[in-house]
Order: sequence, then structure tokens, then C-alpha cells
Amino acid sequence: MANPEDSISTAAIGVSTGKPATRTGGKRVRSFTADLSAVGEPALWGFGGALAIGIILIAGFLAIIAWNGFTTFWPKPIEQVELVDGTVIAGEPTRYNTFTVGESVLARLNDAQRQEIEDNFGFANRTLYKTANFDLYGDDFTWAADFDIANVERPSGYYLFERQQWGTFVGFPASLVIGGEETAYDQGLMQREQRAARSRFADIRRLERRDIGRINHNQERARLDSRKALLQYGENDPRYLARVEVNNARIAELQNEFVEVQQRISDIRAIDSQYRVILEEVNGRTVDTNLSQIVRFYAANDVNWFQQAGIYLSRWGEFLTTEPREANTQGGVLPAIFGTVAMTMLMVVFVAPFGVITALYLREYAKQGKLVSIVRISVNNLAGVPSIVYGVFGLGFFAYTMGTTIDQLFYAERLPSPTFGTGGLLWASLTLALLTVPVVIVATEEALSAVPRSMREGSLACGASKWQTIRYVVLPKALPGIMTGMILAMARGAGEVAPLMLVGVVKLAPALPIDGFAPFIHLERSFMHLGFHIFDVGFQSRNSEAGKPMVFVTTLLLLGLIVLMNATAIYVRNRLKKKYAGSQF
Amino acid sequence: MKPHTNTAFDHDLQELQTAVLRMGGLVEAAISKATKAFVTRDQDLAHTVVTGDKQIDALETEINSAVVRMLALRQPAASDLHQVVSVMKVAGDLERLGDYAKNLGKRVPVLNQSDLVEGAGAAVKGLSTLVQSMLKDVLDAYVRNDLELAKAVLDKDREVDQMTNAMFRELLTHMMEDPRSITVCMHLLFIAKNFERMGDHVTEIGEQIIFVETGEQPAPRQKGESTSMITDPPGADA
Amino acid sequence: MNTMTEAAPVRPIEPTSYHVKEGNQGIALKIKDFKLWYGQSQALHGIDMEIQKGQVTALIGPSGCGKSTLLRSLNRMNDLIDELKIDGRIDVGDFDMYGPGVDVIALRKRMGMVFQKPNPFAMSIYDNVVYPLRVDGVTKKSILDEVCERSLRSAAIWDEVKDRLNESALGMSGGQQQRLCIARGIASDPEVLLMDEPCSALDPIATAKIEELISQLRGQYTIVIVTHNMQQAARVSDNTGFMYLGRLIEYGATDTIFTKPHKEQTHDYVTGRFG
Repeated sequence: MANPEDSISTAAIGVSTGKPATRTGGKRVRSFTADLSAVGEPALWGFGGALAIGIILIAGFLAIIAWNGFTTFWPKPIEQVELVDGTVIAGEPTRYNTFTVGESVLARLNDAQRQEIEDNFGFANRTLYKTANFDLYGDDFTWAADFDIANVERPSGYYLFERQQWGTFVGFPASLVIGGEETAYDQGLMQREQRAARSRFADIRRLERRDIGRINHNQERARLDSRKALLQYGENDPRYLARVEVNNARIAELQNEFVEVQQRISDIRAIDSQYRVILEEVNGRTVDTNLSQIVRFYAANDVNWFQQAGIYLSRWGEFLTTEPREANTQGGVLPAIFGTVAMTMLMVVFVAPFGVITALYLREYAKQGKLVSIVRISVNNLAGVPSIVYGVFGLGFFAYTMGTTIDQLFYAERLPSPTFGTGGLLWASLTLALLTVPVVIVATEEALSAVPRSMREGSLACGASKWQTIRYVVLPKALPGIMTGMILAMARGAGEVAPLMLVGVVKLAPALPIDGFAPFIHLERSFMHLGFHIFDVGFQSRNSEAGKPMVFVTTLLLLGLIVLMNATAIYVRNRLKKKYAGSQF
Repeated sequence: MKPHTNTAFDHDLQELQTAVLRMGGLVEAAISKATKAFVTRDQDLAHTVVTGDKQIDALETEINSAVVRMLALRQPAASDLHQVVSVMKVAGDLERLGDYAKNLGKRVPVLNQSDLVEGAGAAVKGLSTLVQSMLKDVLDAYVRNDLELAKAVLDKDREVDQMTNAMFRELLTHMMEDPRSITVCMHLLFIAKNFERMGDHVTEIGEQIIFVETGEQPAPRQKGESTSMITDPPGADA
Repeated sequence: MNTMTEAAPVRPIEPTSYHVKEGNQGIALKIKDFKLWYGQSQALHGIDMEIQKGQVTALIGPSGCGKSTLLRSLNRMNDLIDELKIDGRIDVGDFDMYGPGVDVIALRKRMGMVFQKPNPFAMSIYDNVVYPLRVDGVTKKSILDEVCERSLRSAAIWDEVKDRLNESALGMSGGQQQRLCIARGIASDPEVLLMDEPCSALDPIATAKIEELISQLRGQYTIVIVTHNMQQAARVSDNTGFMYLGRLIEYGATDTIFTKPHKEQTHDYVTGRFG
């Protein structure tokens, strides 16, 4: 270590700004390591310690989320476990823990086992197996204590089936039904037919979604049009009656179309039911299921590393691009990603002009006095109001007051079912905009006050008006700072969940806020949100153990999404900074 | 006058003044010694005056470089500027005074080789006493910034001029009467002329005092010296 | 803008009209018993001063003497300060700039200003120079180009920047930035150029260049310069005003102020006997 003075200066400054010393020679005066003895700077330990604790906490937290999130989709082997009492179970070992063995359990054990537990101070280890097959056993998971296990093996031939319904299945494919004919199981044949069945399934989905959705939408429109006419003209007005006639004709027409589509769907379904697979689980019970219901299957103990990687990536693909199934515990989170991004963007659209204009007025136009100070303090304090309060306000003011008024004025025909009179994307965005506006105001004010007075004076002295000065000189210079505020607001808004539960987030949204029906963007619709998705999957689902991995994956995704949005904003800000920066002297 | 905010400025100015006064003292002594050597025909004393002039010259050089340094470093303005500029001029004048004293000292050994003209010793002594008193007064005025005294010195210059004129006529007469005395008389004539120039330089110092105090150069003064007008004395053609 | 056309007509921008054409005679600004208060404290106590057309007038004095305040009163920059009160008048041409109905924005277009610290805007060099015209509504490219070149030439910086007019002005050196600001100050063809300690943030070489520029602009523009550097005032100005404690102590030819000031306070200040 260099002499104490060097290390003190290094410690005080903290980080090295050092470019390497010139290549041609010379001795580096500063040492770039801190002196652990902290000579003369005992506080160094405190500062360094605080920093270290903070970093450890954050790094640990990120590491846990990342580890759990990234490993969830990796295919695990299936173990066949023979218990002492003769039962056989098969499943993925998911986790292990140590537990205190209860009295009743001890009672049924033999002496040797009891002795072993006693030696272990009354504790024993157990393994949680994901046995799946919920439709047969009514449970997805089984604990197996070490003392109960007689034998564990990983026999070849076990398959894991991910099904559209009822979750996963662990067992063997017993036989196939192809075109109504029962044949022996063949992996290649099954893969082929499963792919074909999935595309049939997708066809049905598409018909249901697009065609039936369109028919329903148009029928609803016709029905609402009649009702609108009723409200407009009265019951016995000929114009109303004429409109009703037209609309009823339209509805009838659509009904025919509907029946037609329905027919096509049932045709496909009939074909679909000709292609089935009979699955057999470890204890010989069988399940007969349509091939189209099988989302993915693989021989868990026979796949090599490359196949595992393929499965892993395909699961991520499914997660990112499809809708959820099985009460959100399986499938994808596309609607939630979409909802989160759409809401955040919309929030920025609202909060940016609102916050910037407010700050501009406060800083540039308002006469600086007691009143402005009070306003400023209030704005700062608003940032500390619990977010649920904003949720209540959003629901009470936006949805119930404003929304109801809008409904009465523009959507009277849909009443009593509310259009804007309930939570929705618009209200959620507005609520979050309100929640984050103090951040933007404070940051913008800071940025504005950081614009040197000399620049404003320079502009004014050129004969510019106040607005011209703000527009051409102050705002460009303050833009990076304003962007920083925007980034903070976005980070806060994207991560907020509590108020959203009141103003429009649902666990499963029937439709995305953007679709192919006019006016294409449906701000009144409720939507899904990753944050709420985490809450829902983790704590509201029928089987929290099944949802647990999804919690981590979704959390990882939410973090990734926020990082991505912030990174974009930071990139934009730095571009701006570079554009407007420059040496002062 | 108030002191400068930067007191080193005052200190430097003070040092300049002191150097000028020291120089003035040396010049006074040189004149007085040269006169004494002339009167007492003391060659050794005359020699010390001649060698002593080097000291005066060195002091002038020193003052001049101090003034240049001051101008470069302090950039004096208004009365400070006047004072600094005047120091340079005064030092120049004093240096000339020293030179004239040295010149007198140089002539002593030559004059010693022959008899002096009658009355010349007294006349030179009179001139010297007058010039010395003027120099003393002007240095006093310089130290005290005494405008009145400086003006009085200016007036005295006329007396010097008149005494020179008188001596000029006298020596002219001597030379006409006795051509052998021409060498001695020529030397005496130069001595008289030198004293007249001394008076002028002392007067210039007085003018600098007025410039420093008022910021204005005094009007051109009336010269009393008129040897340039003197023609042959009446009856000299005899 | 219509409300003030009578009081202060906006002069049309003509390519060659930036010289003081009506001879270098007369008075550009006439300050009459001008008083100014910041809230309760009086900053200027009855200033009477006539700024000569086409000449360089320097204001000197110790910090807080009100010289900058006076300068900033000349284009009403002080208006930005709350609680500001004034009394007296400042005549520019034939009207009082503090009179009723005066369009401050139009007034400022007639008074170019250069500040203590170079303050180019975060735009290209070109945009900086033509900014006064842009905010005035001039959009014609040919006029803007011409004014840009003319102003930069007048500010003696054209040769240095003509090849990078579209680069950010913030990348220039301090001295260049200040000359750019001077170019900006004269772009709108002002009657008076106000300079608030324009060299205080510059190194001696850049300072010398600015001083040289001021000498070149003398005669073309009426220049009022506030400076802390007395030698600078002595070098560049024709007339000098010495201010102290909000009063104009002495105002006269620069030669007189620096060689034979009439007031003792002026003398003490220029000889460094202050405080």
C-alpha cells in the first residue's frame, strides 16, 4: 500500500477517475485501492460498509429473482419414487427442505428410522415432487420424506405432457387414436399428429376469436343502435321503429353467419376428436385426451442437452407470445406485457405535457412567493401519498364521476352496463399520471432552474419574448433533465400495482385494448398488468405451489421490461445531452 | 493623501522618493566639495568628486529601472503616474547636476597650474552657494510637496542667470586685457556656464514638483541668462 | 407590437444599415435623474448622463456601485426583477424608454447586449447569430445568410467559423464564444451595444481580441461597456463614468478621468486607494 496520504485521498474521492498514466513514464501518485486500515479516515468503514450492505442486498435480490426466473423453464428429469408403504409416485423433484417430524408420523415409524430422526434432533429431509395429473389426484404436488422413500430411480420412457387444460401430466403415452383408429404409440407419429392437431386447435381459436368476435361485436352494435334510437326518438316514433327493423334484420343476418361459423367449428371439433392419445400414469390409471390439447410433450429422462435447450427456448417463446391458461399459472403473459407497456406509454403521454407545463408555470411565470412555495411543497408531498389513495381517487373521480358522466353523454345506449364508468386503461393511465406527476414537476423544475440565468438574459436581450426564450433556449437546455424526470416517473409508474387493482387491472382480460374493430384503441377496456399478474399468480391462484415458478419468471420479465423502457429513455436522453452539451469554456 | 489599498505600492513609491533624496544628498555634497576644491585648490578633494560621480550615475540607473518596474507592474494612474514619471525626470536632472560637479572637479588640476583671475574665486563661490541653496530648497520642496517653496526656487534661477552674465562680462574683459589669461578664463567661463545649467536643472526639478501636484506643466519660464546677446564690451578694441 | 410602433418604430433590417449613419454626432441615450430601487434599497441615486453617439462609453467603479444596474436599465433587463421601482427617464432617440406604452421587446431589439460570461445558446453558430432575427419573425434564408455573414465579419470571427456554421456554438473557445455573442448582439442592427464586463471571463489574448474588436466597432456603434478593469476602460473608451454607491461621481473624457480626475473619489479609485 502506498503511503497513508495517498490512500486517504483515494478513499475520500471514492472512485478512480483515472485514465492510465501516460505511457511514456512517470509515477502514478494516486493508488487505486482503499487502505483497509483507513488511517485518519475511520468513517471510511461506515461509508464503505453502508455501500457494501446496499450492494449485497440488491445484488442478492436480483440474483434470487434471476436464478429462479431463468431456471424455471429448464426441463427437469422425472423421478419414480417407491415409498415404504408400497405406493409409487412419479414426478419432477422441485424442492427440498428439512422439517420437524410430527408425533403421529413418528408413531408409525420403526425404531431404526426413529433413531435416525432422533440423531438428527427431530428433523428429517423431504422432497417435493411435482406429480402433476391434477385431474386424477386433485393435487399437483406430493411431499415425500426421506424415511418414507424406499427407492428412487429415473427410468427411461417417462414423458411430461403439457396440456391445454388440467395442467401437466406425468406418465407414458399408452396408445394413439388416429382418425378414429387405435394404433400403438409411436413418437414420430405422435409429433406429426400433435402438430396437425395444434393447427386445428388454432383454427378453432381463430374462428372463435375473429369471426365470432366480429359477429358478436356487430350484433352488439346493431342492438345498441336500436337502443340509441329508442333513447333518441321515443318508443312509438316511426324513425325508431324503422331503425329497429333495419337492426333486427342485421342481427338476424349475423345470427345466420354465427350458426354457419359455429357449424364450421363443430366440424373441426368432430375431426379433432378423432385424434387422441391415451395417457397412462405410473399407477396404471389412464386419461384419454385429444391430441390438440397437448401443448408440448417430451420424454423427460431421455432428452439430451440440446433438446432440453430447445424445450427451454420454446417455453420462453410461449411465455412471451401467448395468452395465459390454467388460471394464469401456465401459458404466456402477452396480454400482461402489452397492458403494462400500453399503460406506461399512455401514462407518459399524459404526464409529460401536464407535468412540464405545470413546472414551467411554477418556475417561469408564477410570481415567486408564499403561494408558489405552498404549491411547491404540496406537490413534493404528493409524491409521498400512498399509491392506494390514488387508486381510490382514480376509481371515485375518474371512473365513477367522470366515467359515468361520459357514459351518460355518449354511451347512454349501453347503460346500465358501464363503458367508461368503470376501471379501464384510460383511467389507470390517468391515475398513474397523477401519481407520478410530482416526480416530473420536481425534476422539470430542477432542470429549468439549472438553465443558467445568463442564457435567458441573452435571449431576452436579443428581443425574444418570454415564450420564445422558453421555447428556443430554456426547454432545449432543460430537456435532458426533464427526460430524467420522465424516466423516474416511468420507473415508478410501471412498477405500481396497488392503485391499478382499483382502476382497471384484471386477472384475465377478455380482449386486448387494441384490436381490429373500430376505433381500434379501446381505452375503456380493462387490461392485464405484469405486476398484478405476479400478485394474482402467486397469491390468488388455486394452487400457489404451481404458480410459484411463474411468479419469479414474471417478476424477472417485469424487471426486464422496466430496465428496457428506462434504457431506451436514458439512451434518448443521452443523445439529447450530447446534442446540447458542450464545453462552457 | 490616502494610502493605497495595496500598501506595497506606497512602499515602492516611498523607496523611489528615498532614492531620489539620497541622490540629491550626494549631488549637494558633490557640488559643495567641488567648489571647496576649486577655492582651496585641493586636487585630492577634486579627485574624490570626479570618482564619486560614478555613485550618482549608478543611483540614477537604479532609480530608472525601479520606475520602469513600477510602470510595468503597478500601472499607476493620475497623481501616482505623475509622481513616478517625475521621479525619472528628477533623477535625470540630478545626474546632470552631478556631471557638472564632476566637470568642475576635473578643471581644478588644470586651473592649479596657473594663477587664478582676481575675484573669480569669490564669484564662483557665490554662484555655487546660490545653486546649492536652490538645490537644498527644491529637495525640501520635493519631500514636503511644497508648491510655494518650489515656485520660490523657480524665481531664484533669475539670480543665477544674472550672476553668470556678470561673470561672463568680467571674464571677457580679463581676456581682452591679458591674452595669457585666456586659458584660465575659458575654464572659468565653462565653470560659470555649468553653474548656470545647474540652475536650470534645479528649476526643472521645481517644475516637476508643480507637475506632480497640479498635473499641469508650468508655463515656459522667462530666461534671465543672456550671454548669447553679449557683444564686445565697449572700448575693448583699444 | 402595434401598440408601440409610434413610440419605437422597428427599423427594417437592411443589409447595410448597421452603421451609425447620421454622422457620429449627437446623443444616443440621455439619462435624466434616473433612480432605481430594488425593493427597499436604492441602487441608483439620480443619474444624469448623456451617452454620445458612435463613441465608446465606459462605466467603472467598485463592485456594487450600480454600474451594471445602470447598464441593464438601458435595455430594461432589470424588468425581470420583482420589486423593482424606477424614477426619472432614459431617452433613446426622442422617447422615454420607461414611458407608458413602450414595447420592451422592440426596445431590446434596438439595444444589443453582451454579457459577462459568454452565453451562446445550445444551437449551431448560424442559429445563434440569426436568433435575434428569427425571434423577430424573419424567415427569408437570403436575409438570414447575409446578416449572419455580415455580423460575424463585424465581430471579426467570420474567418474562424465560416466552415463550421452548422456546428454547435458550445464547442467554441471562450473568446470565440464571446465574439459570437457580440456578433449576435449586433445582428439585429442595434443602435446601442451594451457590454457587461465582456472580458472578465476571458484570458488576456481573448481579451485583447475583444478590445481590438471594440476599437473596430467604435464609430459604427454606440457602445456602453461596464468593466472592472480600469486599464481596459482607459484603453478602449472615449468617455468614462466613475460610479460609486449608486451615484455617478464623475463623467468625462477618458483621458481626463485617468490623468487628471476632478473628484477625489475618482482619483482614489483610479490610483488604487480605495476601500
